[in-house]
Amino acid sequence: MKIAVAQIVPKLGDVEANVAIHLGLLDKARKQKAGLVVFPELGLTGYTLKDLAEEVALDPASDPRFKRIVAGTKGLSAVVGFVEESPADPGLFYNAAAFVADGRVVHVHRKVFLPTGGIFEEAKFFAAGRDFRAFRAPFGRAGLLVCRDFLQYGSSYAHHAAGAGFIICISAAPGRGVAGGDAFETSRMWELMGEAVSYFSTAFVVYANRVGSEDGVTFAGGSFVFAPGGRLVARASPVEPELMICQVDPAAVREARRKWFFQRDEKPEAVWRSLERIVRAPED
Amino acid sequence: MPPKINAPFVEKVLVAFIRDELGRCGCKKGVLGLSGGLDSAVCAALAARALGPRSVLGLIMPYGTAFPREVRDAAALAGRLGIRHEIIDITPQIDLYFAAHPTGNRVQCGNKMARERMAILYDHSVREGALVLGTSNKTELLLGYGTVFGDLACAINPMGDLYKTQVRELAAHLRIPAGIRRKAPTAGLWPGQTDEGDIGLTYEEIDAILYGLVEGRKSRRELVAAGCAGAAVDRVVRMVEASEFKRHLPPIAKLSIRSVGHDFLYPYDREK
Repeated sequence: MKIAVAQIVPKLGDVEANVAIHLGLLDKARKQKAGLVVFPELGLTGYTLKDLAEEVALDPASDPRFKRIVAGTKGLSAVVGFVEESPADPGLFYNAAAFVADGRVVHVHRKVFLPTGGIFEEAKFFAAGRDFRAFRAPFGRAGLLVCRDFLQYGSSYAHHAAGAGFIICISAAPGRGVAGGDAFETSRMWELMGEAVSYFSTAFVVYANRVGSEDGVTFAGGSFVFAPGGRLVARASPVEPELMICQVDPAAVREARRKWFFQRDEKPEAVWRSLERIVRAPED
Repeated sequence: MPPKINAPFVEKVLVAFIRDELGRCGCKKGVLGLSGGLDSAVCAALAARALGPRSVLGLIMPYGTAFPREVRDAAALAGRLGIRHEIIDITPQIDLYFAAHPTGNRVQCGNKMARERMAILYDHSVREGALVLGTSNKTELLLGYGTVFGDLACAINPMGDLYKTQVRELAAHLRIPAGIRRKAPTAGLWPGQTDEGDIGLTYEEIDAILYGLVEGRKSRRELVAAGCAGAAVDRVVRMVEASEFKRHLPPIAKLSIRSVGHDFLYPYDREK
């Protein structure tokens, strides 16, 4: 299977223009026989939305612009980042990722960890999701994460415990630190987690970050794909937009799990009991 | 000290930043003041790479004839970069104003000149359909070593997150002539003035302290323990604290449910 990572520069606050960018790249990826196309966090809206969040929010089930994207996934799968407002939760705006396959919305993940502090202020403008739920993708069991979710390692653990063979993180991670090599210093942090999670979850990790700048902050690109066992399959440029396409073999999950028993030996019930105790009696 | 930067990578990021910001507002050109010093030279070189040299206008705006070398260096740099430049003498309007409102305060005179230059840059911004590019570096911004609504005024600032010592590294990478790189930094308010003379510390000393305070989040005690002179740390901390107002838009008295500057919050870079 070919995985395409669309490392794009979304237009801030212009959903219509971003839908066109998404449709164009879905087409391009399909021509190159990609089975999965992953777009970055808030790719349909741009990142630094502030009060614009509610103006660009949409319901993936009914919004005509989103339906065009869904229709554009005939014969492949895509992960799309957007601001969700569903009719069931009016007035709540979620930083969300949708997994869309062959013309159908399969799963929507609402970002759980909203970074707020330093340069980040997401919790001022978004409601927080409450769940990590793996789902069945055409190529195997998968779990979605949005940006900061990935750095709180319980998130990947939840997908690992559910048996996900594909952990897909969409991101709008800013670059910080220019004293290193030919990329922002913070890019290392994402790769370190990607390598470790792919190793110890015996899963593919697909990380789609964006590029470009908004309000002075430059997004660090450097999207990557790790195969199970921490093997780097592909890495995109730290600054330039790019449609990165790489070949992966989903059977590598089985291969890795025959060799390394992390998945088989996992005991979520033991972790759960410990967590339950910690949550109930935080001061003990 | 601040870490050494990867200058080619910084160049790539800043060139893209200038291009993106101008692209968003439909501008193709940039205008900036050329003082003959290091910061404006680096900004001009970045803008020339981002926009193409002919889309950059450098205004050289001397007061009187006391800085012939600065004017010469600025014009030579413009020629070297291939950017357009123009010399505008600000002496008449400054002299006219101070003839009516005399002062013996050199800083006050210098501030007036800096604001005159700002007004000329913004006027040319309209004439040219160009954005005003700021040239203040991180050291100046933190110390407040600039004139509010004068040289601190700009539409975008590509260099505001580089310490002075890092601007020097970038300048060497961008092949800014050694004559400009080696001269003593000056605000040019009066002949013989130098930044380091004004502040009483070298930029190496200042940047080491600022880096410790800002990125390192160190206390005065920790900086002194790490080898910084106590008096120098005190001086820098005083300057940073006293100039906080220069790093903000003015506070707006909040009265309503939703107010500009408080909770009516939109991004600067929204697509128009």
